[in-house]
Amino acid sequence: MDKIARIDMGAAGGPKVTMEEVGEYVGLGGRALTSLLIAKEVHPLCHALGAENKLVFAPGMLSGTAGAMTGRLSVGCKSPLTGTIKESNAGGQAAQVLARLGYAAIILEGKPASDDLYKIHVNKDGIQISVDNSLKLLDNYPLVDKLRKEYGDKVAYITIGTAGERKLLAASIACTDPELRPTRHCGRGGVGAVMGAKGVKAIILDDAGMKMRPPKEPEKYRDANRKFVEGLRKHPVTGEGLPAYGTNVLTNVLNEAGGYPTYNFKTGQFATSAKLSGEAQAELEIKRGGTATHGCHRGCVIQCSGIYNDKDGHYLTKQPEYETVWSHGGHCGIDDLDTVARLDFMDDNIGVDTIEMGVTIGVAMDAGIIEFGDKEGAIRLMEEVGKGTPLGRVLGCGAAVTGKVYGVERVPVVKDQALPAYDPRAIQGIGVTYATTTMGADHTAGYAIATNILKVGGDVDPLKTEGQVELSRNLQIATAAIDSTGMCLFIAFAIMDQPETFQALLDMLGAFYGITMTGDDVVALGKKVLSAERDFNARAGFTKQHDRLPRFFYTEPIAPHNQTFMMKDEELDEVFNW
Amino acid sequence: MNGVPQASLVMTMGADRLGCFYPILQQGFGVPARVPCTVKELLCDQFGMDAGYVAERITTIFLNGKATDNIDKAVAGNGALLALSAAMPGLVGATMRRGGYYAAMRSAITLGEQDTTGSSSDGTVRVKLFNLLLPELGPEFLGRGILLTSAEAIEFFRDQEQDFWSGCARATLDDTLVAPKALKNGETFAGTAAVGLTVLFRKKG
Repeated sequence: MDKIARIDMGAAGGPKVTMEEVGEYVGLGGRALTSLLIAKEVHPLCHALGAENKLVFAPGMLSGTAGAMTGRLSVGCKSPLTGTIKESNAGGQAAQVLARLGYAAIILEGKPASDDLYKIHVNKDGIQISVDNSLKLLDNYPLVDKLRKEYGDKVAYITIGTAGERKLLAASIACTDPELRPTRHCGRGGVGAVMGAKGVKAIILDDAGMKMRPPKEPEKYRDANRKFVEGLRKHPVTGEGLPAYGTNVLTNVLNEAGGYPTYNFKTGQFATSAKLSGEAQAELEIKRGGTATHGCHRGCVIQCSGIYNDKDGHYLTKQPEYETVWSHGGHCGIDDLDTVARLDFMDDNIGVDTIEMGVTIGVAMDAGIIEFGDKEGAIRLMEEVGKGTPLGRVLGCGAAVTGKVYGVERVPVVKDQALPAYDPRAIQGIGVTYATTTMGADHTAGYAIATNILKVGGDVDPLKTEGQVELSRNLQIATAAIDSTGMCLFIAFAIMDQPETFQALLDMLGAFYGITMTGDDVVALGKKVLSAERDFNARAGFTKQHDRLPRFFYTEPIAPHNQTFMMKDEELDEVFNW
Repeated sequence: MNGVPQASLVMTMGADRLGCFYPILQQGFGVPARVPCTVKELLCDQFGMDAGYVAERITTIFLNGKATDNIDKAVAGNGALLALSAAMPGLVGATMRRGGYYAAMRSAITLGEQDTTGSSSDGTVRVKLFNLLLPELGPEFLGRGILLTSAEAIEFFRDQEQDFWSGCARATLDDTLVAPKALKNGETFAGTAAVGLTVLFRKKG
């Protein structure tokens, strides 16, 4: 990963590729690279869909190596949904292949003058860009099927569906999984709309003739990776719970806690949530000849995904994740897994963020467009998005836009990005992160539950309520760092509970780059990334008043605990004081 | 469910049909108990769970919908709802963990310490099992017998498909042999308020 490719999509005479050394970004990957580059090079007041914005694709620091769990791809830009800086990441094969091709980043710049649609082919010989208007208005599944006929099965595809082409604010960027299905999405923030604005429909990554990235110290790296994998396999979450049930294992627990937002955040429990649970989902998948255990990229040892077949045993979609099952399920009063699975497929195919779309449909239900619990109605609304009708375009621009268009007061967004599946009135600490993250409401912004091991910010007494600000701050720092490694965030449980597994991760980073890596180094990286992101947002016009939850969280108690969000504004303003 | 007409249903099932019972194990079932008592007494002394298993494996507990940290100080009364889970992924999983580092993040829904004194009497608690605990504790609870309302029993048996009935080797209702598929008919439980369900699992071969 010693080079960066810049592709000026607006160059006179057609897109132009410029290769350069990795330079000041050496040793960086993932979110660290995308955010530092965007913060430095993109005008914060630019239009996110204009020529001044840039779209950065960056594999993680350890992507393309033999290391386990190293397959996250980060995509960075100014977000058209939030107006803030954005990093959105996904699994799939793309990060590994891009890293083996030697790229620390590919950056799409400028904007084509015509409405031609381009595809970009990257292989060991370089980068070829060509117009292919036959790809217009293809959704992700038929698009990849068409591309496979030309480029085959030994490549990775990065694509946008029709939502990205139409520059809808909920549009995602799809990465293919090992079976070449476009199921892994950089979902949040409308990054797919930025790719659409650049006129790029597909990026084909072909690493034929390339080798794994070699570590500086191969023996040490191999040994550290072995210990890291052992740690993941022996932990009950990464070695048992996630492989057996996937992330949807959380449905029962969140519902029991009264933190499962239902009927557009009107109550914290859904009477029939058990029908949507990960346990029920896994049983159904196995019974229908699918699987409840599947990896989104080669080298994954957690295998939290699965294959969801229809009643006839035919592939319907990949295993919907917890947030998807919630957003299309309980949030909308729908308790049917088959409906959720069909909506998940439509999200992936059209190319939209499952959280944003599910929340938006719930807001549309609150607006009276359809009733809560209307399964067929929800599918019809998604079809509108796929067709690009006026209603579909409103919905495809997310919950905030839909709420404004239809005059809905209860719109669960922060910085115009939809809240995920955890009610901040029941789990107040998560509300702190939702409110203050640089990315708009995002549960993964403060997800790296290893702060006790990292000792980020020193020792915090977690049993004191006032510790929540410190916890959120430390979680956000740790997450920014892990997002930069290219590691899946689900490693966090094992490294939190097992110091030797965290040490193995540090040893992997150290052995690969030939340096000594400490927890302090990881913390410093996280702070550096967050500082750059905060600085970009401030220059884009965001103030502390934007670091707030919608008012209804402060004024409407939620059952069964009858809690409101109680964190004071002054406390929220302390999150980034380090 | 004490003091009301109760049917006693005993089923013998193939071990590979345990998953069929997961819906009722997740939704909750009644268990006779001496209450009030602490959650630890309930799990270890009355349900017979090993203290080490409770400490290491049942890492997430909700009592009446409140996250529970100290099971020595959490008191289950008659009709209490107890949900048991193994370790959960993600930040919320860590947040809900008993006595975990991130417990403060859900302090608004945490159960406070309770008075553990008082005499106990016969009663019922409602138990929910989640995730990894379903295969580990499900056979034990089903083997000892669980209590369902007749409505719950009728709905459960009504929803079962052929695969379930073909795995049922024997069923007795109030000590009388009953054709398993007859249970699919809700009238079997007419006039009863509750069904005591015992399921014995037998391995193949």
